[in-house]
Amino acid sequence: MRFARALLPLVLLVACSSEPRPRPPGVLFVSVEQQSAWVRNFNPLFAGAGARWPTRAGVYECMEIFSSAQARWVPWLATGHAWSEDQRTLRFTLRDGVLWSDGKPFSADDVVFTFGLLKQHPALDAGGVWRFLADVKAEGRDTVVFSFSRVYLPGFSDLAHQIVVPRHIWKDVADPVTFTNPEPVATGPFTQVTLFRNQVYELGRNPHYWMPGKPKVSALRFLAFPTNDQANMALVEGEVDWAGNFVPAVDRTFVSRDPAHHARWFPLYGSTVFLYPNTTRPPLDDVRVRKALSMALDRDQLVEVAMYGYTRPADATALNDAYSGWKDPEVAKDAWTHYDLDAANKLLDEAGLTRGPDGLRRLKEGQPFALDLEVVSGWSDWVRAGQVVGRDLRKLGITVQLKTYEFGTWFTRLQKGEFQMAISWSLDGPTPYNFYKWLLSPRTVRPVGEVAAANWHRMGDAQADELLVRFERAGTPEEQHALMSQVQQRFSATAPAIPLFPNPSWGESNSLRFTGFPTEQNPYARLAPHAEPDSLLVLTELSPRER
Amino acid sequence: MGRYILRRLGFYLIAAWASLTLNFVIPRLAPGDPAAAMFARFEGKVQPEAMGALKAAFGFTDAPLHAQYLTYLKHLAQGDLGMSYAYFPSRVTEVIGTGLMWTVGLAGVAVIISFVVGSFLGVLAAWNRGGWLDSGLAPALSFLGAFPYFWLAMLALYLFGFVLGWFPLRHAYGHDMEPGLSLAFAADVARHAVLPASSIVVATLGGWMLGMRNTMVATLGTDSIRLAHARGLPPRQVMLRYAARNALLPNITSFGMAVGFVLSGSLLTEMVFSYPGTGYLLILAVRNQDYPLMQGLFLAITLAVLAANFAVDLICLWLDPRTRAHA
Repeated sequence: MRFARALLPLVLLVACSSEPRPRPPGVLFVSVEQQSAWVRNFNPLFAGAGARWPTRAGVYECMEIFSSAQARWVPWLATGHAWSEDQRTLRFTLRDGVLWSDGKPFSADDVVFTFGLLKQHPALDAGGVWRFLADVKAEGRDTVVFSFSRVYLPGFSDLAHQIVVPRHIWKDVADPVTFTNPEPVATGPFTQVTLFRNQVYELGRNPHYWMPGKPKVSALRFLAFPTNDQANMALVEGEVDWAGNFVPAVDRTFVSRDPAHHARWFPLYGSTVFLYPNTTRPPLDDVRVRKALSMALDRDQLVEVAMYGYTRPADATALNDAYSGWKDPEVAKDAWTHYDLDAANKLLDEAGLTRGPDGLRRLKEGQPFALDLEVVSGWSDWVRAGQVVGRDLRKLGITVQLKTYEFGTWFTRLQKGEFQMAISWSLDGPTPYNFYKWLLSPRTVRPVGEVAAANWHRMGDAQADELLVRFERAGTPEEQHALMSQVQQRFSATAPAIPLFPNPSWGESNSLRFTGFPTEQNPYARLAPHAEPDSLLVLTELSPRER
Repeated sequence: MGRYILRRLGFYLIAAWASLTLNFVIPRLAPGDPAAAMFARFEGKVQPEAMGALKAAFGFTDAPLHAQYLTYLKHLAQGDLGMSYAYFPSRVTEVIGTGLMWTVGLAGVAVIISFVVGSFLGVLAAWNRGGWLDSGLAPALSFLGAFPYFWLAMLALYLFGFVLGWFPLRHAYGHDMEPGLSLAFAADVARHAVLPASSIVVATLGGWMLGMRNTMVATLGTDSIRLAHARGLPPRQVMLRYAARNALLPNITSFGMAVGFVLSGSLLTEMVFSYPGTGYLLILAVRNQDYPLMQGLFLAITLAVLAANFAVDLICLWLDPRTRAHA
């Protein structure tokens, strides 16, 4: 007991020294990655590197930025670009007076060097630009010329979004793939690693940033939160100024605590979430069956139950709101994504899947129509979505068993086509080209058992592919939109996969100390810090209230 | 005696080799493809064409297992644990290094406190059988220990951190502190450790106490204790030197196990209190099929368990004359 009596004052002393810590003025606290401890890595080139945020849009920069919120390209390290007459040559004009953070001038040589690295190390070429490029050359200090091996207009976004690294530093890097780049030299607004410890790191301003007077934020600070709960608690308490967390019941738990300053904006710019049927397995190869499954889904309830009402049901184009300018309103009205049990039952009857005396659907050979639906265990929104899907399909007399797998297992089964139905994401890009290519093009179909990076449902449509190939060469916006409308018609006609809802892009802000966050009224960029390269637009726009 | 120690050492070497081999085999038996899992983390931000190049960069080989095993042993002997996939291109040693010290510090101290205090309480409870310690505290602690640890820790965090604001809500030290050998920093670390450490202690104290109490009660009934009393030795000496010393043996053995599992066992603590340790790394490694990181962590855990058990063997040798007679 004497021991306890000796310990008590010590405990009290330690406990009473708990006063709120003063926050350094002008330092923006950001919560993006969930980690228990930080590892020092600022490699911007290798997409597989676990580089600390915002290495790819904040420390380093690209030539132009596509803002999906504004649906336009924003000039950045390049002030503009021009295509040649035959669309085989693209010239970027670089901005004058840009310096690297060590004071050396930025020039066309750096861009040419960077693309040379991608050619030398295919692992760095995440966009696969050397599939369509023939050559990259500098014309003087401020012009870069890209020669294409074939006409491929969608390649523009991969070139414009490519991170540029300084030649004078990276020419001495032995292996740029495994380089952790602990002291980055870059052109971005925040380049100085002023603090790096296992639970906190801080990035200070680039002393030579090319935008006069910017950034106004003096430093970015990142605390390690291993779980969403911890990150959300810090956000609610006001310790974090900018976050991209999934917050349950966000309006009640976060916004209402300080409506003047706490804001959230969840625009539907994330990839569309699909119910993927494995079309190599009858009867899922029958478009009537796929459409029937789709019509049995009560998507209004699905988004309410699975997504807290943060999103809306998908329509027959499956496009998210970032592509609203591309959407064909006629296709969007197509009925197969609307809840209609009678029509769904009729389609299944037509397809020869009649109900037995027990009310269960039978396949043509007589065995009951049963499906496994695979989701990732622990991804609670998708697990709930899977439960709603299962319940809805049972109304058609189809037995659905929801199966949850650990992520790695789930993804391997999905990629190899060893599933019956699965819920998963879709691919993105500045135009819907990539999105539809990976849903519809026969060029993306791999045999079952072989790993497919997407097109997990394994279906291709030759007509859609022809349109997509024409889109690669379509120079005018009118032509592009006309082609994309036809692609949407093909998507709606063939229903290769069943769209459920567009994913929100999570973003929360606390404007008590900083102003200038994007909002629904001022949508100059996405609020989600994950949404690279939008974070560059936000980081250069924010300014502290205090000084 | 020397031969006994050598024999034990030989046994531990064989055990170490066996666990290293299991370390190599088990992850490779798990379903899934690490390259695919890695690729999936980009959720469509990387063009699928890059997958082949990604595999090459991570050094995934289709070499036969025995060749991979030899490379694994060779690298291990050189202290090279390879590169982590999840934290590519950082080295596994560096990744583990970010948290090892904190985990060992927090969980190690908590286990030692829990063991010492628990065993001592057990001795007292058995000595004063039926007293308030025995009939009140022991059941109360067992009751607390029966709660899910996660819930207990969350409750402590909410009550003492969030509502009362006595202790910080997360991390091992304040992020404006300069880590170093200063008194202020030590106090800050201690303040941050109070909630996570005491939640571990509260959850495990009952087990130590009960275990100690039960063996102690059995020991007190033996003839040697009656003899000690009869010789008129002071009660405190009988309690500590004669009874507790003998009763401690089974508890010491479990202590060896507990110390060994410190590295993996503090996972929940780290999740709840955002403590920068190694437990969370293990979850992440499994999720990303990060074989090198998994192997590195299992290696650390294995070695810790073996070292702790060897230490326990030596302590038992010192505490228990019978082992010395056999040796």
